[in-house]
Amino acid sequence: MGVQEKTVRTRGMKRKKGYRKKVSWREQWELMLIMLPAFALIFIFCYIPMYGIVIAFQEYVPGAPMIAFDGSTRWVGLKHFMDFISSRTFPRLIRNTLVLNGLNLLFGFSIPIIFALILNEVKLSRYKKIVQTASYLPYFISTVIVAGMVLSFLDTNGLVNTVRRMMGLSVKAFNMDPKAFPVIYTVTNVWKSFGWDSILYLSAMSSIDMNLYEAAKMDGANRAQQMWYITIPSIKPTIMLLLIFAIGGMLGTNTDLILLLYNPATYETADVIGTYVYRDSLLGGRFSFGTAVGLFTSVLNFTLVFIANKVSAKVADYSLW
Amino acid sequence: MAKNTQIKSHVKNGSRAFDVFCVLFCGMVCLVTLYPMYYVFIMSVSAPEAVNSMSVFLFPKGFQLDSYAILFKDSQMWRAYGNTIIYTVSSTLLILITSVLGAYPLTVSGLRGRKFFVTFLLIPMYFGGGLIPSFLLINKLGLYATRWAIILPSAFNIWNLILVRTFFSGLPEELRESARMDGAGHLRILFQIFLPISKAVLAVVSIYSIVGMWNSWFNAQVYLPSVDLQPLQMYLKRVLVQMSVDLSKLNSTEIADAVEKMFSATQLKYSMIIFTTLPIIFTYPFFQKYFIKGVMVGSLKG
Repeated sequence: MGVQEKTVRTRGMKRKKGYRKKVSWREQWELMLIMLPAFALIFIFCYIPMYGIVIAFQEYVPGAPMIAFDGSTRWVGLKHFMDFISSRTFPRLIRNTLVLNGLNLLFGFSIPIIFALILNEVKLSRYKKIVQTASYLPYFISTVIVAGMVLSFLDTNGLVNTVRRMMGLSVKAFNMDPKAFPVIYTVTNVWKSFGWDSILYLSAMSSIDMNLYEAAKMDGANRAQQMWYITIPSIKPTIMLLLIFAIGGMLGTNTDLILLLYNPATYETADVIGTYVYRDSLLGGRFSFGTAVGLFTSVLNFTLVFIANKVSAKVADYSLW
Repeated sequence: MAKNTQIKSHVKNGSRAFDVFCVLFCGMVCLVTLYPMYYVFIMSVSAPEAVNSMSVFLFPKGFQLDSYAILFKDSQMWRAYGNTIIYTVSSTLLILITSVLGAYPLTVSGLRGRKFFVTFLLIPMYFGGGLIPSFLLINKLGLYATRWAIILPSAFNIWNLILVRTFFSGLPEELRESARMDGAGHLRILFQIFLPISKAVLAVVSIYSIVGMWNSWFNAQVYLPSVDLQPLQMYLKRVLVQMSVDLSKLNSTEIADAVEKMFSATQLKYSMIIFTTLPIIFTYPFFQKYFIKGVMVGSLKG
């Protein structure tokens, strides 16, 4: 009882936060000094690279200052963006990015929800816990090891081809097959992250008021109807939140995993913007061009988050800001 | 208990089938998730002949641990292991320090410019300079090809900082007020009053950064050209993905007096996968205890 009163009171105090008098200047300095290490690091490693974006509009020479006022900086405007959009690789990169992300959005997004919904219906609590624990184990395994396992299983002497041989099917070098890449990538990605992604849904489900189910049962709703009319609407905010982020990451892809799984034979279907920037611009030393491509991607990503957020606010009454 | 039986008595026949379906489905999911890891494990401990003929599927055939003993002689692996430990320990400690120091002042009511500081934290979560400007920065700072190129950019984590802040702002304000009355400075309040009761959130942050750092490789790929400084994941990448390191060379003549005792590269790879994933599996029980809680604290903030 006492605790409850206390929380109510602190809440009241928080609401009046605006009226609270400011800390003394001495205290302000003390606090800012405490914050300094974290904020300085963030400034250096997050904000200075943002300033570095200016080279996207220049013909940058490594070693030269990014902005010089003696006229040595060669500004080229949007040249690099135009070059990228009109380059021969552009359609391929966009197509691959959209295909791989589309597949990931389709399966990587829906499977955790379906898994969580079904796991939530399991009444054997011990079994439920074991299944959940097992489901997020792959999340802890490093991308390098996961990629290594996939490549080894798909090897001509690997597990998959051994099983195919036993079933009388022909042996295939899957990791050299451009057609197989989207499938390999999607399966690997979903395997690695579905359990982890379902944690948020499961925790949202565990906070649903049981009385709702009781009431629905009284009204004669069966289990599927209860799932449809109670569980799903209750986790809708969580779904929308994750959907907005997923859409915002549309052009990002899991570059880590692709870099490990692809090879020149599968560039046709595997090469995405992230891997292209790494290969062509970082290794190839085309810094200005790579920065322009990176900027192009993050601006589009940000626009997508913005649109998704707007749509979500309208349609589902949920928004990030 | 009584409630349970009451519910059960209401269960209809169709509901029973639904239950069975759910249990079976989850069993299938479990199997699909665990089998690849299990397969790697049984392959690593089976007898070399069985592994070479690819006849291991459900249970280990034969049993040996020599494949692991051979790995112990791999000096490259040990060096990489050592590097990973250096990177993981230092970045975890730094993340703890920066998150705690950065989070605390934001929870002091009456702080001037709080809105500015919070915005300062939020912007990089949505927008960044990208790969090339970061690479140029590391170069310009003279960190390229040094251990600092790995440690410093991972010395903070905004998401963790916000997690700690959320936790701190849940602590009763009276704690701080009364310590202020007694004349304690903020640093002292933070370390002597706040931290001792924040073990749970500190555990979450540590586990996040340990797992994250142990498994990371991309920064090393970009910033560390020298093999001597590269972490374990980079070595694993050369072994498992690029296949530029052939582990079967580790078979020495003394152990392999008979040809059938020679381990194939595949079996050694699988042993290495198990051996290098073990430390992360050991964090699993801690994860169980704190992690899920952390995910939820984070999710509240969105």
